[in-house]
Amino acid sequence: MRRGPLLLTFLSGAAIAALFFIPHYKAQAANSMLLEWTLVVYAFALILGSISLWNSHARKVRNRAEGWGFSVVTLVSLLAITALGVWKGVGEGTPVDWIYNTVNSPLASTMFALLAFVIASAAFRAFRARSVEATLLLVTAIVMMIGRVSIGELISHRLPGITEWLLDVPNLAAKRAIAIGVGLGAVSTALKIILGIERSYLGRS
Amino acid sequence: MVRSGFVTPELDTRWFDPARLNVLIGILLFTAFLVVNIFRARAKGTLYVRPIAGLKALDEAIGRATEMGRPVLYVPGLSDMSEVGTFAAITICARLAYRVAEMGCDIDVPCYDPVVMTVLDGAVREAYSKAGKPDAFRPGCVHYVSAQQMAYVAAVNGFMLRELPAANIYMGSFYAESLLLAETGARTGAIQIAGTDKVTQLPFFVCACDYTLLGEELFAASAYLGREPIQLATVIAQDWAKALAAAAIVGALVLSALGHPALQTWLKVA
Repeated sequence: MRRGPLLLTFLSGAAIAALFFIPHYKAQAANSMLLEWTLVVYAFALILGSISLWNSHARKVRNRAEGWGFSVVTLVSLLAITALGVWKGVGEGTPVDWIYNTVNSPLASTMFALLAFVIASAAFRAFRARSVEATLLLVTAIVMMIGRVSIGELISHRLPGITEWLLDVPNLAAKRAIAIGVGLGAVSTALKIILGIERSYLGRS
Repeated sequence: MVRSGFVTPELDTRWFDPARLNVLIGILLFTAFLVVNIFRARAKGTLYVRPIAGLKALDEAIGRATEMGRPVLYVPGLSDMSEVGTFAAITICARLAYRVAEMGCDIDVPCYDPVVMTVLDGAVREAYSKAGKPDAFRPGCVHYVSAQQMAYVAAVNGFMLRELPAANIYMGSFYAESLLLAETGARTGAIQIAGTDKVTQLPFFVCACDYTLLGEELFAASAYLGREPIQLATVIAQDWAKALAAAAIVGALVLSALGHPALQTWLKVA
């Protein structure tokens, strides 16, 4: 039963890989068209996503699960925004645009701002000198933090240079080594999927 | 040699870009390594792959969740199906769901992308069927949350603080939300295992999680968990390609130092 999807995956994967090497304008036009098709698939999947969101929160409200009040807010918001979007559109100056700018954006910015605090708490946990590696991390972090601010140069004129060296030599070497591994792993995974070796993503048979 | 950037795409009538010959040779070599190792795996029946601590801990995490009667939270990253990291996350989730079904504990998979949600729903359902427990599959355990980064983080963090999952597994492509998720998970006392192909997010996971799969280990995870010889062959092929890449880099470096930069120039991707 899975022959069809496997064949389709092989043909699509092989075609997209081949198009990387073919600069012919007709081939590139076909490539662009294939990529546009993904938007159509996404639009249909978004309907499934919305149904999933509705079911998930409706179940919480029905069962009076912990925090069910938040689910009511989600469901009302989902309905209201959908209705407003259909009725008034989603362009500039519409109610949906106003809600996005005055409610959604500040909420997202607030969440993003929390990053400053979680970085501090994660650093506190990571920099405890429990082992040689953790101590090395602690010392490097201290040198980096002091060397990247103006007081660093006042302490020693060599500190900014040391931080640059740490970033450009040991740090970059490790990053590139991981990046090469990631690149090869990505090729390996792509080949496994195109050749049908990896099939778990197909789901129901 | 005409390089791809010098020709206007609309007028290009070539059927092969010679500037990308190096990539084609690389892929053909990789495919050859893969085929050789598949034959080796079929002949030997098994291949040795070094133990990966983070993956060995997955069973421990599921066992802990089962004992505590709490769910396992699986976060499949914030990318769509165009990212290979997402495919890796899906295959790992399928293997993990199989173990979860076997051990009789619960799994929750909040999704950022609706297409990924649809694929994951099928994969998890299939895993429960394979484990012989199709009735144990809870409809809605794979669910859509939001396609907005911070809204997604707020929802998943809320779930962590309310439901207190015993194990949080983060696999796939992550961005600025990685530390927000992992740090909240650490506060709840859950065992945390992460794996990502995004180099910039690795330090955050290393700081906040108990185990972290670094880059390529994410792609090897599915094969490692499945223990199927053909899957393991792909990991060995990956290692062979890595050894070849290292040899090519060292060779190009030595030749360049000796005044022959041809190999270095050839290795650059157009």
